[in-house]
Amino acid sequence: MAASLTFPRTTFAKLSPQPFLLANLSPPDPSLPSTRTNGRHPSQSRVPLVTTSSLSHAHGSAVVRTGDTTVICGVRGEILPVTGIPAYRPRSFTEADDVVAATVERWDELREYDLVVPNIELATGCAPQLLPGVPPSTLAQTLSTRVYELMHTCRLVDVDELRIWYHPARNTQEGGDEKMEEDGGEDEEEEARPELKAYWTLYIDLLFVSLDGNPFDAAWAAVVAALRDTKLPVAKWDVDRDMAICERNAQKGLTVKGLPIACSAAVFLERDQGLHLAQEGRHWVLMDPDRLEDEICQESVTVVVDRSGGETRVRALEKKGGTVVGVEAMREIVGLAERRWEEFSNAMPKK
Amino acid sequence: MTDRRRINGPAAATIPPVFLDDGGKEQKETPLIRSRPSDVLRKLFLKTGVTPSASGSAYLEIETTFKSGVSGLKLSCSVHGPRSLPKSAPFSPHIILSAHVKYAPFATKQRRGYLRDSTERDLSVHLETALRGAIIADRWPKSGVDIVVSIIEGDQDRGEAAGTGDETWDTMNVLSGCVTVASAALADAGIDCVDTVAGGVSALVVDRDGAESVVMDPVASEHGKIMAACCVAYLPSRDEVTNLWFKGNLETSDAQWYTELVQKGIQASRSANRVLVQCLHDTVKLTG
Repeated sequence: MAASLTFPRTTFAKLSPQPFLLANLSPPDPSLPSTRTNGRHPSQSRVPLVTTSSLSHAHGSAVVRTGDTTVICGVRGEILPVTGIPAYRPRSFTEADDVVAATVERWDELREYDLVVPNIELATGCAPQLLPGVPPSTLAQTLSTRVYELMHTCRLVDVDELRIWYHPARNTQEGGDEKMEEDGGEDEEEEARPELKAYWTLYIDLLFVSLDGNPFDAAWAAVVAALRDTKLPVAKWDVDRDMAICERNAQKGLTVKGLPIACSAAVFLERDQGLHLAQEGRHWVLMDPDRLEDEICQESVTVVVDRSGGETRVRALEKKGGTVVGVEAMREIVGLAERRWEEFSNAMPKK
Repeated sequence: MTDRRRINGPAAATIPPVFLDDGGKEQKETPLIRSRPSDVLRKLFLKTGVTPSASGSAYLEIETTFKSGVSGLKLSCSVHGPRSLPKSAPFSPHIILSAHVKYAPFATKQRRGYLRDSTERDLSVHLETALRGAIIADRWPKSGVDIVVSIIEGDQDRGEAAGTGDETWDTMNVLSGCVTVASAALADAGIDCVDTVAGGVSALVVDRDGAESVVMDPVASEHGKIMAACCVAYLPSRDEVTNLWFKGNLETSDAQWYTELVQKGIQASRSANRVLVQCLHDTVKLTG
């Protein structure tokens, strides 16, 4: 194939990406395995590399690299006093203790109060068409929203760890009479009970250093790795100053439930010269697509799996743009996602 | 109005964590010592080719000091171009440079917003000036080049309370890093330059005992007080300064301080340039 060309591979890839990828996937000699333009098998993913705790100003951070896609994630906690929440529903301490009450109540504080704020910045010159100075692109907005939604549906973070309580001193409970006089006698019964005063808000900022396809998998892995690395300072409510005060030397690691890993695949369809679907319609499922494949493939599937509990749990399934992937193909992709989970799980730093 | 294209979080303002002061006071007691002689820079790491899809790219890291909580500088730069200008752009006989410097939200003590602020715009202008003197611009008529620097981590002391005014001095260090990393990325992109330009910072510091001295590569938390600082972008083989940024409070009668600051800035830039040249040599060796 290459012998008939009068220009190098990269030029061919740029001029006519579709036939270029097709030619690579269907070699003239049928005994040869079909390979992608990047030299990988259709079901082969790039090796993930995860580094954590490399930023000193963030409470938790991670750098994830898969091939030429590199993303940095920084998690920073800030305090949100309950007085600032418009539709705040007070909750008492006993309610939090009571497991039954917590499950019955459908009020999702994490979502209602917007306590997790993931944002993805793509306009960092990470790819030639992504330059700064413009509002967030559609891709950046979609990615941020997908990460946001997945964070809530996976329940990665337990809201209980984000609560900042005020524990009144014990002796005031015994000297209830004096206390009543001081406070004008309101809510005598509630007085000694711990009071919820503020929440931690997690700002999760992602910055792409380099983008070569499949931004979602890398971004999601970076979010999970950074959250696992996050250590929030121990905060106590100070009544006199009416604000939360943190201890400089005491930190508490955030508990992250499970280890959901996203695995994306793109579906490449054979088309004839007019870019219409060929009659027989051969197709290939390409795992972990790179930038060229991302651009030409319309159909894509993202599976989020979690095997941290031993058995595979599918946390999310997303499929868009196309009609090729059916139940069988989906099963196959989930199977490949399981393998991907193992790779990422090994790459994640051990706790 | 809130930015509806991003996820903004809670409507109310969130407060960055406030720490108890006892721990901080103990730290203050430790004497302010410079970790190295006055004319030695912190160690610098430079590598090209971090963004393969860009025409040229580079990553720069300055080592963190021995003091805990003081971060070094981490910069990533990508260069896109030269490429043709959009059809709507007027004719230009030379290459049009556009530099963007952006702090990552997690780069500094205070969380930064996504919109560019005045510091970032200031840095961009200074960076553009520094590079314009180095590029042979008339080799590419009707074209443009974009230089994007992302500050992954700014040079700041986490222990220091906000609002002490140290940020202004850190900006100097950031600019000198930006110049060096952008120069490496430009060379990586194969854009013709008269020489590699590197940044250097010098500062007039007053130590605890009141002695004034000029130091290179100042770190605000290592000195008692910084009176003035100067950031120089310098082309060594031509002995030319492409950008000079002076900031501080200095009497006009002390002309010798001015010259000494610039001299030391140039010296710092020369040291940074050696790293830059070495890095480019290594890249050439690797790629053949």
